[in-house]
Amino acid sequence: MSAEGRTPARPKPLGQTIAHVGLALTVAFAGIALGAGYWQVLRSPDLSRAPDNPAVIAAARNVVRGLIVDRDGKVLASNKRSTTTGEPYRVYAHRSFSTVIGYATTDFGTAGLERSWNAELTGVSNRDPIGDVLRKFRSDPYDPQKLTLGISSALQQAAIDGLGDDRGAVVMLDPTTGEILALASTPTYDTNAIANPKTSRDAFAAILDDRSKPLLTRATQGQYVPGSVFKIVTAIAGVGSGKITATTTFANQPAAERDGLVVGGFRIHEHPGVPARSFNLAAATEWSSNIWYALAGMRTGGDNLVTFASRMGFGQALPFDLPTAASQVTGGGGGAPGGFADDTELANASYGQAETLVTPLQMALVAATVANGGTLMRPHLVIATTGRDGTRTIAPEQMAVVIDPDQASVIADAMQRAVESPIGEQFTTGAKVPGVPTAGKSGTAELGGSGAPHSWFIGFAPVDHPRVVIAVIVERGGRGGARAAPLAGDLMALFFKTFGR
Amino acid sequence: MTAAAPSLPAILGPIRPRPRGRETRLLVIVAVTILVGSVSLELARRVTDPGESQGLSPANPLHLAIYLGLIGIAHVVLILSGRRMDQILLPATAMLGGISLLLMERLPQTQVVQSVGPWTLGLGDIQLAWLILSFSLATILAVTVRSDRWLRLYKYTWAAAGVGLLVATYFLGDDINGQRLSLSLGPISGQPAELLKVILVVFLAGYLSEYRPLLVEESTKVGPISLPPLPFLAPMVAMWAIALGLVVVQRDLGAALLFFTVFLCLLYAATGRVGYVVVGVVLFLAGSFVMYHLVATVQTRVDIWLDPFKSASGDGYQIVQSLYAFARGGLLGTGLGAGLPTVGGNLPIPAVHTDFPLAALGEELGLVGVMAILGLFLVVVERGLRIAASAADEFRALLAAGLALVIGTQALIIAAGNLKLIPLTGITLPFVSYGGSSLLVNGIIVGLLLALSDRGVEPPPPPRPRSRLARLTGRVTRLETPDRARAPLPPAREPGR
Repeated sequence: MSAEGRTPARPKPLGQTIAHVGLALTVAFAGIALGAGYWQVLRSPDLSRAPDNPAVIAAARNVVRGLIVDRDGKVLASNKRSTTTGEPYRVYAHRSFSTVIGYATTDFGTAGLERSWNAELTGVSNRDPIGDVLRKFRSDPYDPQKLTLGISSALQQAAIDGLGDDRGAVVMLDPTTGEILALASTPTYDTNAIANPKTSRDAFAAILDDRSKPLLTRATQGQYVPGSVFKIVTAIAGVGSGKITATTTFANQPAAERDGLVVGGFRIHEHPGVPARSFNLAAATEWSSNIWYALAGMRTGGDNLVTFASRMGFGQALPFDLPTAASQVTGGGGGAPGGFADDTELANASYGQAETLVTPLQMALVAATVANGGTLMRPHLVIATTGRDGTRTIAPEQMAVVIDPDQASVIADAMQRAVESPIGEQFTTGAKVPGVPTAGKSGTAELGGSGAPHSWFIGFAPVDHPRVVIAVIVERGGRGGARAAPLAGDLMALFFKTFGR
Repeated sequence: MTAAAPSLPAILGPIRPRPRGRETRLLVIVAVTILVGSVSLELARRVTDPGESQGLSPANPLHLAIYLGLIGIAHVVLILSGRRMDQILLPATAMLGGISLLLMERLPQTQVVQSVGPWTLGLGDIQLAWLILSFSLATILAVTVRSDRWLRLYKYTWAAAGVGLLVATYFLGDDINGQRLSLSLGPISGQPAELLKVILVVFLAGYLSEYRPLLVEESTKVGPISLPPLPFLAPMVAMWAIALGLVVVQRDLGAALLFFTVFLCLLYAATGRVGYVVVGVVLFLAGSFVMYHLVATVQTRVDIWLDPFKSASGDGYQIVQSLYAFARGGLLGTGLGAGLPTVGGNLPIPAVHTDFPLAALGEELGLVGVMAILGLFLVVVERGLRIAASAADEFRALLAAGLALVIGTQALIIAAGNLKLIPLTGITLPFVSYGGSSLLVNGIIVGLLLALSDRGVEPPPPPRPRSRLARLTGRVTRLETPDRARAPLPPAREPGR
């Protein structure tokens, strides 16, 4: 093209601009390839296991699911074939596991471990990327995995029996590994009736209508007012932040034991029978002093309290094999540090009232933190999977370092006095395991109104090298020492009887 | 109009064959690959337990033979034509078509059923028929088109025809799922928006090549941004309006996005001005924002895109299933025929054959396969742009670039939609998706690109006088009055006046 004279703005040669366009398209294609890589490699493992993935659903209909066994190899879930259709269906050994294992059906979905480990049980995934690649070259692509739980059937059954007709939950775990030893929730329900194709429709409808909500796994999803067991969280935050030591006392505390403590115009009262003496951490714990802990919580500060609690998992669903509800120190959204509305809420939360809500599993983790020298291990139900290629053990995994070991031992000593001293014993009757140094804290969660309070206990044993942690809640069970503490003592005693000292 | 009448495409002259060695070798690779794929598919079908039906259809060896035979014939015809045409385009697109045939053979044939006379045709049969027509059309165009005058001279006529098609579709079209995209003419129905893609590129190539020098002039200043003379902004605004019109009237988000992207690419190619592209993108974003709040379809699509898992069993179902399919494929894929598990006899992705073929291929061929398919599209684009860069004049360059961009951009948009990188828009994956209109238009594109790649094609006509409309618009600008010499019009225009 022959432009006349100077052309102040001559277009760039077409060859050049077309090359630019080509480059831009190449970059765009590379972007698409990266996107494909994201979904096909990075996200592949979790998406391939999603319960609504058709591969998982298709497998569930045709594949004989893997067994589920307890820590001693006792079969908890096995399979039968329908005499009419020939399709396999699940058979469960113990009703006590209903809220842990759940059920698997073709028409009514899955629940519990049957749901969260569906992909492994049906054999479409084994959580091992290399194994998943190799699987594709086999003639039978399904490799159903057997799941081994850390739960002991004996402890589980004893926990269910101990809760009896009451609603409640028991969590027992090994603080050094995070293995769950028992995860009991009552009421239980008949998973066999749901899994059996002959009865599943009616059984499922009946369960949905049941007002006691047996499908709710109280141990992981029940949100309860903690009462005094929450004082251990306050102690962890206080000692961990350095605001509280073993010898911390408050000058205004003795008088307040008698007259109440005024915080922001609200008067906090002590429960009856606590003497007007100056307490340190251990004494306040054995007497379960609301006043001392309210003062300790205010000195610790709302932000420290929330920070240390969140290190143990508060504020979000816990990483676990089953769905969990989040525990909360405060409803949040308040203007004071940590999201508290004001000092009054902080003071009340410090001894477990106010807006504080916890799950039994969360409280077990609080006790486990103290028991394991301040280091919290991630709780887990499944300890091994076994497929064609052998057994994969699920290694213990650290969840958080919450406090130092010497800080933890200060709190452990206080908790031991709460169980073993003559004064503590009054509140935690029956929690002491004969012949084993035992630590713990009872709780009596006032719910307002006229009903009986929730009965709580958290604890561990032996104090010097803890092997078992327990959290017990009995809904409307009365004082902590009335129901939860003796049950915890019995269950820990059974643990040592079963597994030795 | 004083311009010469368009010369009709010349019919085959004396036959002087010219060997196409590279094309031959590549086509052998294509044939071997497709055959291996078909064997793999058949094996997968045999090992599959009939109890757990995967919805696999028996592979039809005759279909495959017909397809490969047709490609062979196309190859021979190109050799016989004696023209020096690109040798990569046919193998690349034949591979895509072959993959498409394998996929459509493998899906449940009941996805699409049509009765023609005494025969009942399934998915694979129909797709094969369209593939045959598409590649035949490509070959015929490649061999017979020896002049581009019929495209070059009537750009406004073409544009009018395109808009006419659009209007006709709106008033006469068939309503399917609330979208009015297809037009029936007797027994034949098609999607005019597909043809519109080519018409639009022809118009843009004509317009941009004619006014290229003027478009680079900075005569309109809006704040810090320099724009071309106002009248020449008109096509940009018109394109924007057509794109928005497509969205509002036809709910055809995919076509709108495609048109606008191709337009911006061509505008940049013609002017070299990044600023125009920026303005275009801003216009696009503004339009999208308004559309999001005005048009429910757009809002739904965007919301699904932001979090499809929230409505995994509702609106987000298909895209979630698409992502599951990609994820199941992983790095190496499940193997042809071993993916897409059916539950209760239903395919996980209902629109897998039209909108989600890449998800199906991503599952069965894995990331490796997806990369290979993307690579094939990139090769097609690269060949098209190469033809453009070495074209004899600006019209041909922009035409070739535009045609290549249509294929490339369309593949990008639907692939990105399948992978949740952008909101999903229902357009086809060129040469792979099921669909007659799409395949035919893609055949036209490849045929034109092949014809344009022939260096022996008729030389471009001498620059011709500007049309009356251009003279009119030219007078309005400041160019004409103060400094006529600046108007970069060649002297050759004088005699024609």
